[in-house]
Formats: sequence, structure tokens, C-alpha cells
Amino acid sequence: MSKKVRNHITRTPGDIIFDSLLYIFFGAFTLLCVFPFYYLLINTISNNDAVTAGHVNFYPIGLHLKNYIALKDVADLGSSVVVTIARTIIGTALMVIVSAWAGYLVTKQKMWKRSFMYRALVITMYFNAGLIPWYMNMLMLGLTNNFLAYIIPGMIAPYNIILVKTYIESIPASLEESAVIDGANTPTVFLKIILPLSVPILATISIFGAVGNWNSFQDSLLLMSSKPEMYTLQHRLYVYLNQSSNLAALVSGSGTLSQAQADNMLSSRVIKYTVSMVSIIPILLVYPFMQRFFVKGIMLGAVKG
Amino acid sequence: MQANAIPQGVEIKGSSLNKVLMWLTRFVITITGMMVFFPVLNPGRISTLINENASLFTTAISYETITNQMAYPLRRGMVEPMNFYLLMAGAAIVVLGILLNCGGACMSLGNNRMKRVGLLLPMLGAAAIVGGLVLIHHAYTLLEAAAAASASAFKRIQPALPMGLQVFGVAAVLVFLTTLLAWLTLPKEREEKMEMDEKFRLFLLFLPVLLLTFIFCYLPIYGWRFAFFDYKIGDSLTMENFVGLKWFTYLFENEATRNDLIRVLRNTLIMSGLGIATSWLPIAFAVLLAEVRSSKFQRLVQTLTTIPNFISWVLVYAIAFAIFSTDGFVNSFLRNVMGVTGANTDYLASADWIWVKMLLWGTWKGLGWSAIVYIAGIAGIDQQLYEAAKVDGANRFQCIRHITIPGLMPTYMVMLLMSVAGMLSNGMDQYLVFENPINKSMIEVLDLYVYNIGIKSGLIPISTVVGVFKSLIGVTLLFGANGISKAVRGESII
Repeated sequence: MSKKVRNHITRTPGDIIFDSLLYIFFGAFTLLCVFPFYYLLINTISNNDAVTAGHVNFYPIGLHLKNYIALKDVADLGSSVVVTIARTIIGTALMVIVSAWAGYLVTKQKMWKRSFMYRALVITMYFNAGLIPWYMNMLMLGLTNNFLAYIIPGMIAPYNIILVKTYIESIPASLEESAVIDGANTPTVFLKIILPLSVPILATISIFGAVGNWNSFQDSLLLMSSKPEMYTLQHRLYVYLNQSSNLAALVSGSGTLSQAQADNMLSSRVIKYTVSMVSIIPILLVYPFMQRFFVKGIMLGAVKG
Repeated sequence: MQANAIPQGVEIKGSSLNKVLMWLTRFVITITGMMVFFPVLNPGRISTLINENASLFTTAISYETITNQMAYPLRRGMVEPMNFYLLMAGAAIVVLGILLNCGGACMSLGNNRMKRVGLLLPMLGAAAIVGGLVLIHHAYTLLEAAAAASASAFKRIQPALPMGLQVFGVAAVLVFLTTLLAWLTLPKEREEKMEMDEKFRLFLLFLPVLLLTFIFCYLPIYGWRFAFFDYKIGDSLTMENFVGLKWFTYLFENEATRNDLIRVLRNTLIMSGLGIATSWLPIAFAVLLAEVRSSKFQRLVQTLTTIPNFISWVLVYAIAFAIFSTDGFVNSFLRNVMGVTGANTDYLASADWIWVKMLLWGTWKGLGWSAIVYIAGIAGIDQQLYEAAKVDGANRFQCIRHITIPGLMPTYMVMLLMSVAGMLSNGMDQYLVFENPINKSMIEVLDLYVYNIGIKSGLIPISTVVGVFKSLIGVTLLFGANGISKAVRGESII
């Protein structure tokens, strides 16, 4: 890094002031990025009465995890979690398989009309027909109120195909050639040679794909209008956030409150916070793995396909 | 005996007549294959009550779609469910026949031996299609018989002979005839083994990807037709409700929509303009971060400021709700820590400074992430440049000014041109989640407007017109930006 060179220069008072300002600025901005998550967390694990009274601002009061346990009774939340997990796993797996296969094939110069087809694929990143025609198309294909709508359209991810293609092009061609001489056909070469060598890039796109699937909101909003049980988690959260009526009433069995429950009443505000935390936590869990990949991913993307 | 004498490796070419017939066969099969997805041509729509947006493919797989307006007659026993299963079976057989056709078309790319076997498939397929159509017709006859029982039953069932039945019948005959002719004109000589040229083999392996791309990325363009019709969801498109360019002129002549459009365009351009005006922020972030001496602190800042990029806009709104709503952090902090009584402003409900607020949320979410590409760029700058500058007596600001920033400029130009090209697409998620009745007129950008009028209000044609304009202007802007990039930097950005 450049700073190593400059470390040899003796620091002037001006430098010291500038350096302190840098620490203050970056410290403040980092805090700004992290504090909201922390605030949500302490409000979900603190005594609910203290939360309602507005005393939980900087540190938790009266730790407990009952709010998270109470979520199992919140109407419709369970099915949303299941649907979201299912689409994250299935959708990501299929996307990665298709991207790897397509990315490998478009490196084949011998393919009939290769550049034409590659261009047809890439153009879709920059041009789309618009939201309504897309919606009408999904309607025409019968992909509304249907779980397949989460899976099938997401299989084609042109940007990921370009990433895989760029990566495979960097693999020495001699490896493949020797396998072909030994009599391996295209699928064998793909499975035995290309796939094991492309694990890093496949890991990158699968993590990005998984985060995208987990965060998906728009397709659920547009396509699942008459199937509330198929809302994704983000869509479900959006519905909760906009619900002005008391969400706590949604917690079934609220008719007969036990004494402990009455002491620690769930407010709809706390339910909103807790559901938000549930949708954030998986992202925070995969985040450390993701971090290793994203610089690589971005830099590969900068190298054009 | 003569045929076996052909040495391997010698290519056997068909006659030119055979070649023409081959291409004709593939063409007819492709068209027939596409017909499966067009609801207008659905031969399975044997009652006007069957969803007019259901294609043959949907008919074959979804019992729910074909019977969703048949609940009453089914419950009353006016028609048997068996009737619809018959319809589905017929549709499935037609689809199967079409799959056979496609298999044959694929094999017809092989050598003569493979062609000879492969072309048998479409002949079989054509027979299957006809068989399926007969089944569908039988289902129609049953439905008609059920409808004939009484006037009320007729009203509830409304049998109709779909046009698709004839179209698919003609298609099946065409497939059969072209295939038969192509098969008959095949050269007599045959190879030892079935083989296919590698270029076609690779093409066929890639074909499924291409088909998916076509269905989900190119087929929607066919939806532009709604811009030329008087259409509400559930209607069918006929020449009676064809209105030509009515909606295109309506958009500009109708005062209300014109004003809406002007307002929405203003919001869109202001949001994009603010985004472009602050597009230098990530560079500043990266350059300043590189000046921090502790590399541990650098890594910590980079890690933590990137997190917001990976949460959805719904979650950003949840966070905004936790911080800025009536009982959120800001108000409870003011009330309980600062002792301001009566602090209960709902900051989210106001429209003041809404554009700046939206920009700040965007910055909060994206700054750390956008800076990464520049941080990587700084790491890639040649260290010798800094050493030489230092020898010449440059201080750190001069190094930034004359080495770091010029080094990052090419990347910045690409980013800038891309954001200019995407000027009309702000995305709708952010504005949708923050939208409320108070700030609606200020926050509604083009993408959100299309959603609001198209999906929420059901004005499909007019929202399609807006979408068509947006797509066309977007492509023009992109090519313009690309042209500028080519002229100035000698490199294209797409």
C-alpha cells in the first residue's frame, strides 16, 4: 500500500491534525453504519416494558429471548421463512449450475454462431422491456401465484455468466486439451476439469445469489398477490411494517395471557423489530465469508467479457 | 455393400434440395414450438371461461388455471372434473408431440445417418399432436353436451371451439409433410455411426440457456402490444379493442396524466441528478481511507461500512422506522436522555427535504460498497510513482492530486457514464418502501409510477406506454454514453 512509503516522512503538526480528522470521520461513519443494527438488537432482547417506555437507547435492560420464541405464533411468518429458505437454496443452486454451464460453453470458439448468442445474452443486462410487459409475460406463462416464479426466471443471470466465462478463460487451455486427447467429451471435461477449477468463482456467485434471493422483494410483491402464504420474508416484513393495526393481536393464543406474558407484553413495535432482526441475522452470518469474495468479484466484473 | 465402403472421415453432403427442405423442417418445427406459449393460439381454450392468458403449456400443467372460473358448474355437477383432466391430457400429448418434433430438429443437425433416424421423431410427433387435438376436441364435445342440458348450464360453461385447434392441426400436417419430404430426399449413402459436427453439438448444449433467455428476457417485448389496445386484466385482445396510438397521444394530451408525467420526471431527474452530483463521494472515501495509517482500522472501516449494502430496502426502511418514527431512537433519546418533553415527531411522515433524505439513505447504504472498487484501484497503482514523487519533494496532498486521482479517473468515467445512461431507472424498491400519502407526490419516480398505475390501479396500456418510452430512451442514452466513451477514451463501456 502507498502509505508504507509515506510512513518514513516525519509527521508535521498539519499531518497530525489531518490524521486525527480522518479517524474521527471514519469512526463516525462506521458507527452510523453499525449503530442501527445494534439498536434493533438491544430492543429485541430487552425487557419489553423498558422498550415501550423508551429507556433502551444504548444498552439492553433485562435480557431475555422470549420475543424470538414468541415469533413462532405470529401469523403467516413461518410459511414466509420456509418459502424464503427454499427459494434461496433451490434458486441459488440452479443459478450457479446454469451460470457455470453457460459460462463454460460461451468460451468455446467452435460453437455455431457463438458471438451472436453471447451478445444476445449480454444485451439483456442493459435492455429490458419494462415492468408491466414483464409482468404480463409472467401472467401469460402461468408463473403468478406459483413457487416456480421464484426459481425459473432467476436461473439466467447474465452478469454471473460473464464472471464465470472470464474466470474459465484464465484457466490454461492445455489442461482441457490433454483431457480431450484422452477422449473426454464436453460434459466430462466440464465436470472433471472445469468445475473443480472454478470453485472460487462459483463460491462468489453463489454467495451473491443467495443474498439476492434472501433479500428478494419485488417478485413476491408483483407475482404473489393472491397467495399470501408464498410471500417472501422481506415482503412479509413490508406488510408488517405498514400494518397500523396492533400486530401483537396477530400472536395467536393472545386470548388467554399467562401472568408471565402479561408482564412482558409484546408490542407491535417489538414484533416489527424482531422480524427485522430475523431477516438480518442470516446476512450477518454469511457476511464474513462473503467479504473474502467481493473484491475479487468486483475486479473480475471490471474486466469485460 | 457399396455404402459400407465409404472410408471414415469423408463428409457426405446432401443435395441442395434436401438442405432447403431440412431448413424448412426446422423452421416449421421452431414456429410450432413457439406456438405453445401464445395464449391466443391455445387449442385448449374450449370454453370462453377458461383464462385467456393461459397458453397451451399452462393448460397442460395447471388444473387450477383452467378451472378457476368453473368452480360453480363443477360444484353443482354440471360438468365432471374428468372433462378437464381429459383436456389436460390432450394438451400434454400435444406438448409431448412438439417435444418430439424439437428432438428431431436437433438430431437433424447430425450426419446423414443421424438425420435418417432423427427425422422419424417429428413424423411421430405430428401424429401425437393430431391425437392430442382429437382428445381436446372430445373434451369440447363433452362440454358442449353438458352445456346443452339447460340455458343456465350454457351460461355457466360457455363452450367455444378455439381457433388454436385448426392452427395446431395445420401445423402438425405441415411438420409431417416437410419432414417426410426431407426424409425421402436424404442421400442414400450412410455413415457407419451417428455423429454430429462439434459446432452443432456445442450449439445444442447451449440451446436450453438460450431458450430460457428468450422466454424471460425477449418474450416480454411481445407484451408491448398492450400499449395499442384498450385492455384490462382479464380481457382478451381482439381487433375490437385495438386503439392504435390512442394511449401514446393520451399520455401527452390528457392534462392529468401530462402533469403526473412532468412531476414524476422531475422527481426522477432530481434523484438521478443528486446521485450523479455526489458520485465523487466513493472516490473521496477511498482516497481518504488509504491515508489512514493503521491498516487494521482501514480493514475494520471497510468491513463495517459495507454491511448496509447487503440488506434489502425493506430492511433499510425497518431501520428508518426504528430510528426516526414517533417512538423511535431519536424521539426516545430526546425525551428520556435530553429531557425534551413532547418530542414525538414522525420524521418519516414528512415530505420536507425528502429528496435529500432519499439521497442520504442511498449514501448510507451504498457508500462503503461503491468505494471498494476504488480502494482496489488505489492498491493497483504503481508504488514507484509515489516514491519518485516523494524524491521530487511532493507532499501527501500533491501525491493524491497528481497520482491517486488521475489513476482512478478511468474507472470513475465508466461509472459516471453508466449512471448517466441509467438516469431514468432509479429502481422502485427504495421509493416504494418510503412512500406514504404525505410524500407521495415528491417521492414518486418513474419506476414507482409505472408500478402504481400499472399494478395498483390496473391501467395496463398507459403504464406499458410509459415503459416503452423508458426502455427506448434508456437504450438511446446507453448508446450515447457508449459513443462518448468510444470517442473520448477509445474504449466501449458495454
